[in-house]
Amino acid sequence: MQPVEDQSVSPARRRKGLPRSLQEGQDPDPRFTLANERTFLAWIRTSLALLAGGIAVEAFTQDIFDETARKVLGTTLLVLGGILAASAAGRWLRVEAAMRQKRSLPIPLWVPLIALVCAVAAATVLIAIWVTNGF
Amino acid sequence: MDSKRPRGLPRRRLGPQHADPGLQPERTVMSWGRTGLATSVVALLLIRWYPSVGPVVFVPVAVAIVGAGLIQVSQRRRYRVQAAGIHYEKVVADFRAVVWMTVMAVSIAGLGVIGVWVF
Repeated sequence: MQPVEDQSVSPARRRKGLPRSLQEGQDPDPRFTLANERTFLAWIRTSLALLAGGIAVEAFTQDIFDETARKVLGTTLLVLGGILAASAAGRWLRVEAAMRQKRSLPIPLWVPLIALVCAVAAATVLIAIWVTNGF
Repeated sequence: MDSKRPRGLPRRRLGPQHADPGLQPERTVMSWGRTGLATSVVALLLIRWYPSVGPVVFVPVAVAIVGAGLIQVSQRRRYRVQAAGIHYEKVVADFRAVVWMTVMAVSIAGLGVIGVWVF
């Protein structure tokens, strides 16, 4: 008789400071865990790029935009960068949990939203430049 | 692959050899390195706010610099843990690093918004 493998978390295997969803189920292939980490990092760098964009708008566009346009645009990029960073962490956790439970991976639903906000922001900048400087 | 030694992982001092043709530890560590560099760029750009915001700008700059520094300082350890993890077929998801990276990015965003509207 083969002993049935207990898949629940035994107290001995418990790791301090790890959320439950990262302890339940079975350890995935370590390559997948590292791939998930790299995907998270790629999103974080995207978030940092948006932050850098927001900071640059505030720092370098004094002569191009009036104050309100500059502040709104800078804030949009900064907030978007913040949201992106937070969602990246959420997704990392959900993907890792899904791999442990051998479920299919969740779809990143915020991607279309981010694309839309970026497109709107880019169009706004273009129009703002045309309006203030002519064609 | 032998399957002893998970738990605390590393043992060998001279960089454990792993047999992963996909070079996962290298790629992951370099990915962290790029993220650290991107963080430094954010910090340096922020210094440009000094004329309008004043010395307070060094709060988010310090957050970013410390974050970038911590990444670089932990790179060797990260490689060792991940290479050993591939060798023993077990890598514990690096929850702490993910959380701190996220906290850093979100707080830079928050401090940036405060900087735009308050100062």
